[in-house]
Amino acid sequence: MKRKILLTATFLFVLMVVLPRLSFAFYLLDDKLRVKGSIYEFSIIGTNIDHKVKHYRDTNLGLMRTKATLELLYKGWECQDSMLNVFGFFKYWYEATPDIDKKYRKAIDPELRRKFQTSRYDQDDWINELYVDYYRGPWNIRAGKQIVFWSEVELTRTIDQINQLDLRHSTPGIDPWDEIKMGLWMFRGFYNSHLPGQLIFEGIWIPGDFEPVRTPTEGTFMGDPPAPDLGHKPTYGGQNAAIEKTWNRSRPAVSLRNSSFAARVRGNSEVFLFKTAYLLDWTLSYYHGMNNTPVARHGTIGFASQYNLNPNTLNGYMDTNALSRVFGFKRPKVPSRLWEYKFEDMFGASLQTYVPSLKGVLRGEFLYELGRPESTINPKEDVASYQKSITGTAREDVVNVGVTYDRPIPVGFLRSPSMQWLGSNGTIDASFGWNEQWKRGDVKMYHSTFGEGQKIQTAFNITARTGLRNNELTPVFRAFWNTRKWGYYVLALAYSPGAHVRAEFGYMAFFAHNVWDSNEAHAKGKDQVYLKLGYEF
Amino acid sequence: MMRKMKSLLMSISLVLIMFPVLSIAGEVTFPTFSYEGQELAKVREWEKTWVGKKVSTENIDQVKEFLSEGVYKAMKTPQTFGAPSLWFEIVPYKPYEVSKGMIEATKKYAPGSRLDANEALVNFGDVAGYPFPQAKTGAEMAWNFDSNTRGDTHHVMNEGEVVDCRTRLERHAGHLRWDTYWMSRTEVAPIPKIPEDKNNRGIFRSFFQRHIAPVDFVDTTMLEIRYKDLTREEDLWVYTAMFRRIRRYATSQRSDTIDGTDMIYDDQDGWYTAPTWNTYKLLGRADLLVGRHQDNKNAQRVTGQGFWNGIQRERANLYAVEVVNKDKNYIYGKQIWYLDPETWQMNFKMMYNRQGELWKMYEMFYNEYPTVQGQKAAYLSCEHTVDFIRHHGSPSKYTIKGIGLDIKLEQYQTSSLKEKAY
Repeated sequence: MKRKILLTATFLFVLMVVLPRLSFAFYLLDDKLRVKGSIYEFSIIGTNIDHKVKHYRDTNLGLMRTKATLELLYKGWECQDSMLNVFGFFKYWYEATPDIDKKYRKAIDPELRRKFQTSRYDQDDWINELYVDYYRGPWNIRAGKQIVFWSEVELTRTIDQINQLDLRHSTPGIDPWDEIKMGLWMFRGFYNSHLPGQLIFEGIWIPGDFEPVRTPTEGTFMGDPPAPDLGHKPTYGGQNAAIEKTWNRSRPAVSLRNSSFAARVRGNSEVFLFKTAYLLDWTLSYYHGMNNTPVARHGTIGFASQYNLNPNTLNGYMDTNALSRVFGFKRPKVPSRLWEYKFEDMFGASLQTYVPSLKGVLRGEFLYELGRPESTINPKEDVASYQKSITGTAREDVVNVGVTYDRPIPVGFLRSPSMQWLGSNGTIDASFGWNEQWKRGDVKMYHSTFGEGQKIQTAFNITARTGLRNNELTPVFRAFWNTRKWGYYVLALAYSPGAHVRAEFGYMAFFAHNVWDSNEAHAKGKDQVYLKLGYEF
Repeated sequence: MMRKMKSLLMSISLVLIMFPVLSIAGEVTFPTFSYEGQELAKVREWEKTWVGKKVSTENIDQVKEFLSEGVYKAMKTPQTFGAPSLWFEIVPYKPYEVSKGMIEATKKYAPGSRLDANEALVNFGDVAGYPFPQAKTGAEMAWNFDSNTRGDTHHVMNEGEVVDCRTRLERHAGHLRWDTYWMSRTEVAPIPKIPEDKNNRGIFRSFFQRHIAPVDFVDTTMLEIRYKDLTREEDLWVYTAMFRRIRRYATSQRSDTIDGTDMIYDDQDGWYTAPTWNTYKLLGRADLLVGRHQDNKNAQRVTGQGFWNGIQRERANLYAVEVVNKDKNYIYGKQIWYLDPETWQMNFKMMYNRQGELWKMYEMFYNEYPTVQGQKAAYLSCEHTVDFIRHHGSPSKYTIKGIGLDIKLEQYQTSSLKEKAY
């Protein structure tokens, strides 16, 4: 531990002494190599840790992560109509909370803790992106590990489904999107056409690489405590850890048979409505890929009963794990391939335009998930959603809609001459959002730990920010409210005093009427203050 | 006798034929200069004493009559802008070499120029050159300013600092910029405008910008399009590298500061948007020291200084125009633009808050640069915007990559935003 602190301190010292000469990204090798990077310390302190979790904590620390990133852009060659660049974005982090808080450490399964504490979940986790970028005339080909950003709306990712998220340490919006999205090895091509509407065609082939979503690890601050709860005898290895380990062992092999494909066309069209010109930026997209969550594998489900104790079946393994935990028996060996990641098809569309009468920008996204794979249950089984035995699999269609309206709101108070000392631009940049999800079919049949049997989800969000002292200070308010009475809000203040140092301090609170309504509702009791302190070059 | 009669008739015919041409040519006097004749002689006489002299905080009062309120105020209290002393050098007045294309276009189109009841230029976008070389009103001067295409296309690099002069903290900011006038062109073919089959949206002017600093903004790109239709608001797209998203922006966000500098989006080039958003009142003429032939190597400063030293100021007889935005909630109560009678460029402007206090000053220091067409164009060499209330400054320098280039119009498509951005 002391060694790590010493190393970090030395690294920070070198950064502080050497790099202030470079006030921005710097260049090496005759300006062919652009170098950028950052080092951040990100701390979370829980403010209302539930008493049920207290016996898994010595401290209120939720996160103490040191993260370094390095971004390299190598300009290979450039001639009149062709160019070749190589881009690499690398990351390394170390999460020290389990080293500081012994009880916290004991709450996390050692296998999962090793993956949680540093960037070695997979062999290539330290590579966020690494690809060759080739331009020739209207063509652009990118080959390598990449992250695709397709969404336009705030807070949610309606059509942005290709790269999954690592949600183990924090929540989106606090950690940057390009660092919590997981890169995939892929081929990606663009063709800039001269067709009307400035159409850009994009095609993606992911030859077998797949990353499922990484949900918060059991025992960690963002995850649940190990369950069933053993009260005075806390130990790791609850049901969620068992699920995460079985999911890991069910990941599909990197094989061409598991290839995913995506295509998108982007256009820019002018339309006239009531004599007003609207310039529409639109996209149409299609994605054929694996769902980020697995479903039960047919051959190994086992009979659907709480009394199934065959650890080689899905239902039996989960039952056996729970009983072993409660009665202190030897844990069953984690079987492989209990789950199966299945393909689905997604059809998306997006649109954004400035609307003069609203003095703002309207964005909309639509996604139709065709044949989303689901595990099924017996809805009449009289136990909690997370205890229900799995009976089989099915497919459902899901409709997702996201709309945001961005509007800069002039604030007279901030614009008054008496407030000029604040260095405000006098405007609050506000974004109002509406998100809707509609599951088609008999949703009561589908296995869902959160939001069991819920057909429709309606949510609203708002983000408001402004700049003070010439953008040295940026206060941000962000809130999300689901009509089922759960949600969260964040108050944050970002500070950018000079060329390098960046800081953000914030408070995030979660609320929920029923914590089983959604994964985010389940975060009730994880209210937190957080501090990010970083150095960028 | 017959021969005399014939000569007389021929002379009368010639006069009748030439009359319209002569009368038009008679109305358009262009180029126009700051000083001519006796006025110029007086300036030259004054220059004998002052040219080559360094004017600093200590002797500033000797030239006070030739300084704007803002420059005088800053130089009298240099500590407020992070400097122990501020100074500039006086150089001789030098008339601009106006391009052949601009002279021809002005002489061709100016005689027919007029403003409509809303003070909009009739035939805007179909004409080029300065519409009112002998401008009489503030609105006419604003349209002259708007018609100054400075060589029609530009590729420049701008690098500067955002300086908090109190704490001496600086934040580096920089961008590469390409901009093109699609209409009112006087230098780069096709003249006076890009044909409609290649400009069916009626774009008047566009710019594309790629940020190179600060770190958080590297590879962030911007595209803005201004239209011929004066009632249509500009379209603005930003690709934010941090979020990897192309986002449309409401152009009502134009009063947001740019990258935390002291400039708002409207302040770009003095005034980026259509002249019709403001009302104008001519205040008169002012004989002032401004930077018209600035070698930006001479512009100097130390860390924490928000106001350039080493500016090469020359006398020019500028027009002062009071500008009030039609939006009652506009961030500035009023602005005063100081326009150069030779190129109608804005040499500087003063921005007042809504209580009438002097808030900011934006000084643009120009130089003459060769264009691809072998002419000269006056373009920004360096600039600073200073905030008198918060003691803040944003000094920056320009590197000219090319003026009058044949910039591909595809550069101004949204597809360019994400290209080569990482």
